[in-house]
Amino acid sequence: MTEEPYRWLEAVANRREYVREQLKGGSPVFAAALPEGVLLLGVGSGHSKVFELFDRLALAGLGHPADIEKVRQAAIDAAHVEAFTRAPEDVSLRRLISFGLSAQLKANFEQIYAAPFLVELLLIELGIEAGTDAIFRLHFDGAYQLQTGGVGVAASQADSEEECRAWLVRELAGKADRGAVVDLLLQAWWVLTEKRAFGEALPAVAERQAGWRAAVAGKVIEIGWLARRGPRAARYEPLTLAQVGL
Amino acid sequence: MSAPTPIAGDFLSLLAAHNVAPLRVEASPNAPVQLQATTVFGFHFAEGVLMAGDRRATAGNLIVTDRVEKVIEIDSTSVLAIAGVPATAFEMARALQTSFEYYRRSQLQRLSLPAKVRALARLLRDNLPMTLQGVGVVVPLFAGLDFTLTPPKPQVFFYDPLGAQFEAVGYAASGSGSGTIRSILSYQEQFGQPRPSQMNLREAVRFALRLLMVASEFDSATGGVNPAAQTFATLKVLDAAGVRTITDAQQAEYINP
Repeated sequence: MTEEPYRWLEAVANRREYVREQLKGGSPVFAAALPEGVLLLGVGSGHSKVFELFDRLALAGLGHPADIEKVRQAAIDAAHVEAFTRAPEDVSLRRLISFGLSAQLKANFEQIYAAPFLVELLLIELGIEAGTDAIFRLHFDGAYQLQTGGVGVAASQADSEEECRAWLVRELAGKADRGAVVDLLLQAWWVLTEKRAFGEALPAVAERQAGWRAAVAGKVIEIGWLARRGPRAARYEPLTLAQVGL
Repeated sequence: MSAPTPIAGDFLSLLAAHNVAPLRVEASPNAPVQLQATTVFGFHFAEGVLMAGDRRATAGNLIVTDRVEKVIEIDSTSVLAIAGVPATAFEMARALQTSFEYYRRSQLQRLSLPAKVRALARLLRDNLPMTLQGVGVVVPLFAGLDFTLTPPKPQVFFYDPLGAQFEAVGYAASGSGSGTIRSILSYQEQFGQPRPSQMNLREAVRFALRLLMVASEFDSATGGVNPAAQTFATLKVLDAAGVRTITDAQQAEYINP
């Protein structure tokens, strides 16, 4: 198959189609930069979707739990070795992604005889000041983008993901209350999972709120918080709905 | 992605896989005069455990600095107090800090207190060649929270230079000034009023500062405390809520009855 270039291209295209098909039912994850920190959110069915990576780094992802785990472990290993051999201040998300995770995911994706990683990821670095946070979108094939507007969304469908992100950037502008932000992210999660549109056909607020409350029954809402201020180097803490006032 | 570590969540084996394991150096017979850091101690008081250290480092008969932090927060629920050679001790502290956080993040649970206690013993054993050659000796104290109890209870451990660990019932001390400190702690525990274990935070801080003042009268390697010169100790409290630092300003306030 690989001896002819066009067959290799075909194999890679098939592989991309296979991965997207496998990820179709994945539950989207979100990140939102606020004045006091960065909030991550995922809704799962028993498997964790939101994780601490390092002092100011976190990850949220959808996909196969075993593949998320491999990426998570690789990121944690790299961050801690870097912190120990240099200093915690030298651990940066840009270097972690561009020189580590992205290259490894791309190499894996193009090895057409090996199983591909079934993941779509958000990686977050908490900045010292508001407005300096970094939210990266990392794809199963190693491609990545720095997300602007202080909002990150990882979903299985690219079009609806971008619509959702644009809607959240507008809706979250100026919001600082964690409860209000979690509520909006859960509304967005419900709209995405119900395959509704974010345009003119967007359901009313009351319907969206009732929708997410009904849809999360039996599921686990995971909220991660990277606090901008704190006495310790490690800034990540998991939060409950009650802790954000919902 | 990267190959799994030989022991899940074990940071030292991850470092070994990258050939950057700490405390793996050959000692030279012509080693220079070593820097030494003394004195540290810890005792149970009514609200938890107080870990204390003076801030002096010496090399032979020279005072190198009076600004060393010998009581180090390893993570939110454990504290290391170092006596001995700072070069080795600080490296041990750094290895422990990274190890505990690495385990917590990678395994999604905190390391148990016995495992933390043994992790330090393992570092001391790794340092055995240096210890036996008289270079790089470290005799630390360690305090951590036991989460098997409700509410979590702080415990203090002391070590010998080879890595044997012992739980301190009431108190422990290490370093050149520890003889004086242990004597006073023993006296106070048997005959004092209040006993250290009955003291509130203000009393415990005042007692700790006075212990260092007395120890410095008998041991030139112990820096002591001098409020007039704004020279205080490093004090950390470990209680059910975790580790917190008693600042110089708090020490200045608490030192007077």
